[in-house]
Amino acid sequence: MTDVVVVARARRRPSTALILTAVLLGGAALALGVGPAGVPVRGVVLELLDALPFVNVESGLGERQAAVLWQLRLPRVVLGAIVGGALAIAGGAYQGVFRNPLADPYLLGVAAGAGLGATLAIIGGVASTSPVLPLAAFGGGAVAVVVTYALARLGGSVRTTATLILAGVAVASFFTAAQTFAQQLASDTVREVFAWILGRLTTAGWAEVRLVTPFVLVAMLVLIAHRRHLDVLAVGETEASALGLEVSRVRFWIVLSATLAAAAAVSVAGLIGFVGIVVPHSVRLLAGSSYRAILPLSLLGGAAFLLFADVVARTVLAPSELPIGVVTAFVGAPFFAVILARAGTAR
Amino acid sequence: MRFRLSVLVVMLTLLATACGGDGSGAATTSAATTSAPPPTTSSSPPTTTTAATTEGPTTTSTSDAAAFPATIEFGGAAITIPERPDRIAALSATHVEMLYAIGAGEQLIAGDLFSNYPAKASALEKLDSFNLSVEAVVALEPDLVILSFDPVEAIPALGAVGIPTMLLGTATDLEAVYAQIDALGAATGNVEGAQALIRFTQAEITDIVAAAGDAGAGATYYHETDPFSFYTPNSSSFIGGLYALLGMDNIADAAPDELGSGFPQLSPEFIITADPDYVFLAGVGETAETLAARDGWDTLSALDSGRVFVLDPDVASRWGPRVVDLLRSIADAVTGSIS
Amino acid sequence: MSGIRLADVTAGYGGAPVVRGVDAAAAPGEWLALIGPNGAGKSTLLKVAAGLVPSEGRVSIDGVAIDTMSRRRLSRTVAYVPQIPVIPPGTTVSDYVLLGRNPHIGYWRTESHEDLEVARTEIARLDLAGLADRPIESLSGGERQRAVLARALTQRPAVLLLDEPTTGLDLGHQQQFLESVDELRARLGICVIAAVHDLTLGALYADRLVMLAAGRIVAAGAPREVLTAERVRRVYGADVAMLRDEAGRPIVVPQRNGGQPTKVSTSDPTK
Repeated sequence: MTDVVVVARARRRPSTALILTAVLLGGAALALGVGPAGVPVRGVVLELLDALPFVNVESGLGERQAAVLWQLRLPRVVLGAIVGGALAIAGGAYQGVFRNPLADPYLLGVAAGAGLGATLAIIGGVASTSPVLPLAAFGGGAVAVVVTYALARLGGSVRTTATLILAGVAVASFFTAAQTFAQQLASDTVREVFAWILGRLTTAGWAEVRLVTPFVLVAMLVLIAHRRHLDVLAVGETEASALGLEVSRVRFWIVLSATLAAAAAVSVAGLIGFVGIVVPHSVRLLAGSSYRAILPLSLLGGAAFLLFADVVARTVLAPSELPIGVVTAFVGAPFFAVILARAGTAR
Repeated sequence: MRFRLSVLVVMLTLLATACGGDGSGAATTSAATTSAPPPTTSSSPPTTTTAATTEGPTTTSTSDAAAFPATIEFGGAAITIPERPDRIAALSATHVEMLYAIGAGEQLIAGDLFSNYPAKASALEKLDSFNLSVEAVVALEPDLVILSFDPVEAIPALGAVGIPTMLLGTATDLEAVYAQIDALGAATGNVEGAQALIRFTQAEITDIVAAAGDAGAGATYYHETDPFSFYTPNSSSFIGGLYALLGMDNIADAAPDELGSGFPQLSPEFIITADPDYVFLAGVGETAETLAARDGWDTLSALDSGRVFVLDPDVASRWGPRVVDLLRSIADAVTGSIS
Repeated sequence: MSGIRLADVTAGYGGAPVVRGVDAAAAPGEWLALIGPNGAGKSTLLKVAAGLVPSEGRVSIDGVAIDTMSRRRLSRTVAYVPQIPVIPPGTTVSDYVLLGRNPHIGYWRTESHEDLEVARTEIARLDLAGLADRPIESLSGGERQRAVLARALTQRPAVLLLDEPTTGLDLGHQQQFLESVDELRARLGICVIAAVHDLTLGALYADRLVMLAAGRIVAAGAPREVLTAERVRRVYGADVAMLRDEAGRPIVVPQRNGGQPTKVSTSDPTK
């Protein structure tokens, strides 16, 4: 006999949330302690403690080491968490709203569109710390997702995994080419283009974090508020309408918010791919397929994933630094292949 | 449940990493807060300044040791160096050469992966200027960092931890080279060394051009740096400007270059049809033999007349003091002093 | 409880209309069966009644036109069960059934205790309690149909629209399903409009039949009036004999060669 409690709690798995939070904190700790600048771990801990109100301890760190911690590492960790969480929750939301397991900001061309928007804004003279920048990125990303969607519908159905991804690849290629062209016109070197296309989390103080946080926060709140609606959408447009959902309106707000989150992330970190695939699907494996769990857990998981990826990027070829998109692609591309194979056999 | 747990464990294991280095130190810090997402032009660093638009540097004093604190304006940005730097990291092989040539060699602690000239430069700490790790730079505790490009926005990050940086960019002509040497002289307290280097370079170039006479006047040439895609410097590029001093004509000038990059893309057909009088090979490993071995290239008259010359790839790709050597190689080829 | 009325409904997708000028109504507690050949427009008519397809003409619930209602309000009154429901993989039966409470839950809210209670009731009613935690794709056809019905019932509708709900079910499960629906409409006073494939079963359960062909109503009324051999031959192109059971309900019997030579007795149709 099924209890009401079981019906209610079936989808809520506090254990997964705890695990992911622990992983995230572990990743943050690792990221803060690791790096060629050689800031001793004990010093890091003491310095952080000292920053708490009413706590006063001597960390023993020199001025430069403290600057490395506060101006380079800590903002980088926070930025990595925000960017990773934004990309992951956007991916989860796209998967729900398009009912396609391969939807992800990178693969849908949203990231490339956002990149073009940001590039054009910079060429047009927008300051790199101006809030206009993420908005310009959002404009580009929004155009990209609309074009991808329209192309996919032309080619068949949005739900067919192949059609949507093909449309996304076409759109991404186009926008990336346009962006590269624009950058070269503005006399950027190939190196700069390359660095952008593979993503990086360089921080100089807290400017990037301040820039991206409001947008990601708003988008995140809207998406989390729509978790239940994504579960209703899972039964398709017709049945969801029959169940009382205003499908177009809900889809609009979800796509808008997911695009905003992804675009803000791209505007500050370049094109980092596959986070929106790896994380939501891993979360699904752990916590079930309800978006009530997937969305918030993807936030945590995405943050943790990108932090670990950044640690790898910074240490595997030390003292050189790999572009972080390379690390996420190494993990994400095989993941993508597995999902594609499963989706292919399932339908 | 067990499957899900094992997936989690595998994920964690895959994402676990080793730890990094060790060190200690202290320095002055100052807060800079600007940062920029990707596209920046390679010659204007994004610092907050009251910028003058002069290309050349201006300094507040002229002798060496007493020249600090110095404010140097370059490329639209100003940098203040509090005292004579003696831990300089130069992330560009060209600038490493310049620094040694102006007498700042003792002040250098780090170069980039390709800094191999002069020979003692190979003993410097090596930093990867392409995949730059800001922390790796900071770990060396430099008091001045010199870059020729900044794809990962390292300059604001270095500024945030109080390390002065100079973005010198690449030079498009000799005047720019002299301006960079001047700037380095002022920044490192080697103004007289810089002036001497400039005078020497100018004098040598003048002598080489005079000695060559009109041996090169009107001769056509093809300068190859890219034997794969044939992106070729035309006469508006830095190296093209050197050839122009000898009155030579670049076959790449006839190729379209809408973006004005100075490096239009040629094709084997184009090159063979243009049949230049001289061919200069600056690609690594390329020789007259390898050139002749390419399909259809053996018809080049330059091969028959023995006017295919190999240039040192390092020298041909940098714009430092060895510009003189480069020009001399070309002049010697053209006057027939070498075969 | 409410009744539903469709007046002069003309609807289609893109160019040509699929139903034309259809009038139909079901009073509270009444069971109306839609019959007709493939492509006659039965599914479309149901979707129009559910407000999922726009139409000229008027669909009203207790006199109120449905296009004046918000989707939420409509879904609290009308529940639609499609012929082939989408099965979202990984969803448990209880979560799936709970989706039916969506029109009752505020946009920004989540399920209340009452919502959970309603779901539990319907799960129990349709004998799904033992399957509640299983993923819905692991259910058999019959169990799945019950789950979809349970979901529809959690909407607490006054009108239940079923599109060929016994598709793919064996005879036993077909009967089981239809008995459940019959019991519900008796107990709760729900009116039912069901598109049915099997004419005999339709006649067995429905109060009234509406026969559609090429989008128009060909006949409407009590089953015995609507189902004649002649009409079935004309509309379906099928060769049948019409029998009656003790209650006088028509039994449609397919035959070969114009009905020779088998003699069938009305009291024992198994011969």
